[in-house]
Amino acid sequence: MNTAHDMGGMQGFGPIQETEPNAPLFHAEWEKRVLALTLAMGATGSWNIDTSRAARESVLPAAYLNSSYFEIWFAGLQKLMLAKGQITQAEIDSGRMLQAPAPISKKLFAADVPAALAKGSPVDQPTDTTAQFKVGETVRTIVMNPIGHTRLPRYARGRNGTIEAIRGFHYFPDTHAVGVEEAQWLYTVRFDAAELWGKDTTASAVYVDCWQSYLLRVA
Amino acid sequence: MNDFGHSLPDGVDIRVWDSTAEIRYLVLPLPPKNVGDLSVVQLETMVSRDSMIGVAP
Repeated sequence: MNTAHDMGGMQGFGPIQETEPNAPLFHAEWEKRVLALTLAMGATGSWNIDTSRAARESVLPAAYLNSSYFEIWFAGLQKLMLAKGQITQAEIDSGRMLQAPAPISKKLFAADVPAALAKGSPVDQPTDTTAQFKVGETVRTIVMNPIGHTRLPRYARGRNGTIEAIRGFHYFPDTHAVGVEEAQWLYTVRFDAAELWGKDTTASAVYVDCWQSYLLRVA
Repeated sequence: MNDFGHSLPDGVDIRVWDSTAEIRYLVLPLPPKNVGDLSVVQLETMVSRDSMIGVAP
């Protein structure tokens, strides 16, 4: 969806405010709890990483732009839990459990957190298919404006680039966000900065990781 | 990068890596000048978040 999270090319926000050399990982105690809640609920297997990104991106733009990183995480978590019937709006409003907990299939216990974090949740998959594009080949990105999740930024749609690298076969986030486990070849595509931003750009190139269905062959 | 307080001289090749998939990119920062005799521990104190994303002076 074309909304506030897709900020590439947006202007007018002013200088970056926070440039302390050793920025703290957390700026308030509650942020640690939001991270823990998000990890614990993610470990239940109720949704995947792309579903959770889509939830964060669905925060209304005005609120999104006025929210900190972990405020957006918390808003996204509430949306996901509401959608799954794991909490009610009345419980959010009151800050108290008002109904019996919804059953979950997996629980993350504190002692298992380091191992779970170290293991991660890889999204690359085995395949016996062959990548459609070769390194060095010219490609063009598709033009689209999906109402759901996508990882192709607006600034990189309908542009010509070249295949820089083939990264493997990964779940396609646009459909994974709604629970479809289908993978595609993933490529790093190099765009001349002028192709994206015009001749006055000070950059040389921008590299974007693109799934195969984002790309068209250029004859 | 100017918004991060880091202006580059003309002629520096700027390549932007937008991390749109699950692949993550780390920038290996150029060492500051005159660091030849510093230990690893001393060097570590000079590496910031901003240097790891390529915007530190």
